[in-house]
Amino acid sequence: MDKWQNLEVGQEFETGTLTLSKGDILEFAAEFDPQPYHLETEAAEASIFGGLCASGWQVCALMSRLVSDTFRDQGIAIQGIQTIPNMQWKIPVFAEDSLCATVVVADCKKDVGLLVCDIRVKNQHQKIALTLSMTLRIGTQSTSQSTAESDGSAGL
Amino acid sequence: MNNPEFIRSRWFEDIPVGEFHVFGSHSFTEKEIIEFGKKYSPEVFHTSPEAAFDSEYRGLVAAELHLAAIWMKLMVAYMERFATGVQDGRRNGAGVSVRDMQWFKPVRPGHTITFTYEICEKLDRRVRDKWGIIRSRNEGFNQNNERVFSFEIDILAELAPTADSAS
Repeated sequence: MDKWQNLEVGQEFETGTLTLSKGDILEFAAEFDPQPYHLETEAAEASIFGGLCASGWQVCALMSRLVSDTFRDQGIAIQGIQTIPNMQWKIPVFAEDSLCATVVVADCKKDVGLLVCDIRVKNQHQKIALTLSMTLRIGTQSTSQSTAESDGSAGL
Repeated sequence: MNNPEFIRSRWFEDIPVGEFHVFGSHSFTEKEIIEFGKKYSPEVFHTSPEAAFDSEYRGLVAAELHLAAIWMKLMVAYMERFATGVQDGRRNGAGVSVRDMQWFKPVRPGHTITFTYEICEKLDRRVRDKWGIIRSRNEGFNQNNERVFSFEIDILAELAPTADSAS
């Protein structure tokens, strides 16, 4: 995990792009968030969102996919999310919207393997749909040794 | 004792700070953990039971945001169960923001997580003169009563109609 050592505060990554279909929205909503504005076009148009839109948790999950793929491509192994200190949904995400994220390294605690990122998820019109701060645990040799000695998952 | 029938049909003004509910439980299966992981968090400890043994988790664990999605699923089911008297159910729902989301212990296949919420604050802010904001503290506990997950979320709740708006 040499790449991890090269991370610097202020460094910025642009993730790839994911496009959400109406089917994607309906599928996630049916399983995790079956509210009318995520499932029914008419009810959604009458709602605060003004149209059928993705669950905020789907947008959040897609953000994590974009971030995972980006760090994997950088040769950096994510070992999990430790905290999301704050997150705001700014505008709804509609069918056929394309999302990509800007990830800025806000803090990098190399001794304990923690990476704090400020993340903005934008749609194809460059409007911010989701903004958050997220602390990731990063695989480093020293931390993987210490967790191996502490018998697996305790304290993770 | 509160009558849970009007939980969802209440206006912002009627929701009491301090209200506490144990609102649902979910047992995580290996299959659903892998499905969620493959879509949204494709690290091996979320997607491959075999490869996960060699990870620092020593086995498959649920993606952190899978817990958030299950929280939503159980919350919607809980609210739906008591959604009497409201045609469109839009008096509350839309989330605005999240604070202090934390995960304390891994959730593995077979673990059962029970979720609670407490109304902790009603914010002064108004949205489009129609909604107030309710802040709740939410927690998830595993089958050994260990806390595995917690966060606060701000959710819109519709303001009671005034004499002006009703006319």
